[in-house]
Amino acid sequence: MTKKYAEEIEQAYTVITVMEEAQRCLLCHDAPCSESCPAGTDPGKFIRSVRFRNFKGAAETIRENNALGGICARVCPTERYCQKACSRCGIDRPIDIGGIQRFVTDFEARANMHILRKGEAIGKKIAVVGSGPSGLQAAASLLQMGYEVDIYDKNAKAGGYLRYGIPQYRLPNEVVDKEIEHIAELGAQFKLGVTVGKDVTMDELKAKYDAVLLAIGFSAPKVLPMFEGSEIVETAVSFLARVKESKGEVELPQNIVVIGGGDVAMDVVTTLKVLGVKNVTDVVYEEFHEFLASKKELRGAQELGVTIIDGYIPAEFADHTVTFKHRHIDSVLKIKTDKVILAVGQKAEAENLGVELVKNEVTFDGYKTPDAKVFVTGDIAHGDKTVVYAVRKGKEAAAAIHESLGGNK
Amino acid sequence: MINKDLSVEFLGVHFENPFCLSSSPVGNCYDMCKKAYDTGWGGVVFKTIGPKHFLIDEVSPRFDALTKEGTPFVGFKNMEQIAEHPLEENLADVKRLKEEYPNKVLIASIMGTNEEDWTELARLVEEAGADMIEMNLSCPQMTSHAMGSDVGSNPDLCRKYCAAVKRGSKLPMIAKMTPNIMDMVPVAKACLEGGADGISCINTIKSVVNVDLDRKIGLPIINGKSSISGYSGKAVKPVALRFIQQLRMGEGLHDLAISGIGGIETWEDAAEFILLGATTLQVTTAIMQYGYRVVEDMKNGLMHYMEEQGVDRLQDLVGLANANIIPAEELDRDYIVYPEINYDVCINCGRCYVSCYDGAHQAMEWDKENRKVRCNKEKCVGCHLCALVCPVKAISKGEVVLKPGRPGNPADKKV
Repeated sequence: MTKKYAEEIEQAYTVITVMEEAQRCLLCHDAPCSESCPAGTDPGKFIRSVRFRNFKGAAETIRENNALGGICARVCPTERYCQKACSRCGIDRPIDIGGIQRFVTDFEARANMHILRKGEAIGKKIAVVGSGPSGLQAAASLLQMGYEVDIYDKNAKAGGYLRYGIPQYRLPNEVVDKEIEHIAELGAQFKLGVTVGKDVTMDELKAKYDAVLLAIGFSAPKVLPMFEGSEIVETAVSFLARVKESKGEVELPQNIVVIGGGDVAMDVVTTLKVLGVKNVTDVVYEEFHEFLASKKELRGAQELGVTIIDGYIPAEFADHTVTFKHRHIDSVLKIKTDKVILAVGQKAEAENLGVELVKNEVTFDGYKTPDAKVFVTGDIAHGDKTVVYAVRKGKEAAAAIHESLGGNK
Repeated sequence: MINKDLSVEFLGVHFENPFCLSSSPVGNCYDMCKKAYDTGWGGVVFKTIGPKHFLIDEVSPRFDALTKEGTPFVGFKNMEQIAEHPLEENLADVKRLKEEYPNKVLIASIMGTNEEDWTELARLVEEAGADMIEMNLSCPQMTSHAMGSDVGSNPDLCRKYCAAVKRGSKLPMIAKMTPNIMDMVPVAKACLEGGADGISCINTIKSVVNVDLDRKIGLPIINGKSSISGYSGKAVKPVALRFIQQLRMGEGLHDLAISGIGGIETWEDAAEFILLGATTLQVTTAIMQYGYRVVEDMKNGLMHYMEEQGVDRLQDLVGLANANIIPAEELDRDYIVYPEINYDVCINCGRCYVSCYDGAHQAMEWDKENRKVRCNKEKCVGCHLCALVCPVKAISKGEVVLKPGRPGNPADKKV
């Protein structure tokens, strides 16, 4: 089943089929899709470029705005943003904007385009801590402004959750590699396997750099107390990383209970099914009408035969049996299982970074911390925790740093 | 399933339906024509038969297509000339087809290089059993200037060759016109003077369809070069309809017998040609793209159209639109019909706004906040570009207003 895991689940457009999809686009005036992307992508413009067969121009529109255009094309919940706004909804169904963006960024790679340009050196140096989407985008933005950028990450490879979390069939690591390659070409230096706050201190960074940007993300899993210490319990973070690193070569039992109903939970249950696990039961706190995961991911899981039970909270765990109680009705559910995977959220690991977090977030809006040299972005900054928001925050944090350091003066 | 009589009489020949293969690659041998007859075509114009001494030597590849967005074959380019089989083989095929399909029509297309050729070919195809002759005076990609569209743009040569054909055969004869000419009427009249009984039009339009941008060569590429050659398909339909209309408007030609050709692929296309004066119809490009089966929907669709129109004889529709296409100077210029926007249907895409501003008279106003358009009648000239670009057909003809000082009643205008 590893082949199924290793290959992208969504079929890519060809030159012919992408023209058919682009032809469906109404080419609206003041295109509403273009006003609906948190990262500022302009689908109205790049789809028009595709329609008029200017694939290279389309790639420029995407890439210049978003250093992670190929990644966003695959993982963005477009149904909530650009595709929700699409005027074509008034006729039948929205344009497949994510799919067209994927075609264009794949074309960009095939044509070996190098769109982003390093800015003229301004002699200032920034440390970015964390190489997830927000750190990468911030680095790309800063490099284009002429800063030198070093990117620190505790893992052996860059990419954060993009590399270690999102399953291969949804986001191949080769795509992550390509985007990181473009950022490295702008001059980013990667300091990998280095944990800031342990291997190197914040004070050392602050002494060496003009600014430090914390883009540490939510890298640590949350664990419910009743499950702590059990051998049959694994966290989603650990499971997804293990599967992706081994390219799907993992041993799994045939009965697995997953707890959680966000996009991470959907990635876990879908991965389990793709890997051939017979009985995958997902028990979710939220009821379907308030479901957190994107509709597309939920539908994907259901199509693969995942059993999803909504509205239940785990109450007890003993002898391989989890007992759940319904949130509103008098109902008890007991499931005997070989394995439990917890996808109940993640938290930041911010030890020794000198930044105060409440409920995993900073206590202020924006990106400037009370320490004039330290900035934050990504999950620990206020705002949504999706990749597209990480990109937006990365751009805004870079702008905040630029402003604090005197802008273009 | 609907069943109506699609038969027509054309120059004394009975066609069970008006749909024929045109003289082209689609009717190149016995097997092809047999399959076409079996699929339901009413007639075949067998691929042009040339004189024995003119050898056909084709290039490879020999076609190209113009595409647009997701649409293949907006137009089609062909470099193939006339039938490449030996004369005897073509005549034997004609004979066999006529023997096996006595009720289907077989039109022999011929092309000579001089009067003797034309006379002899006419004699031979009549002898082989053809029902009718079509003179190919119009192929734009012949390797001899004594043949094809170079001849068809010269009225004197046309007259002379038509007479030559009539000397060789008493069969009804139609002359096939080239559109690579400003005015077709003098050529058609010359053909009729020479003895032609009717006209088929149009042949293909001289074209360069695409250029390879890396190699800087037109397509298709033949050993590093290409040539101008004939363009056909949906894109040429408007040109064909224009020539047919102009022929029927020519002095003394209002009953001219016409076989219509040029981009026919649906029953609607077919009906348009008939309404402008074609009695029979000829098709190639749609067959090359989709096969002989396209005739099924053309026939069935045309029957439904006849039913809707309350017509029992297809022939009753021939030429009904001719009188409604008049010179520009005779059109009523006294009124403006304003567009009417159906806001229940409008999906607020703003396309009408863009086109009105950039391509018309800046009359559509855009309320950015509410994504709503409004037509400013102070500026609107009633051109209806907006209606054409609207993707949901939310714009129709609304209020009719007379221009200042013009006579008449707006309610009487047939907008």
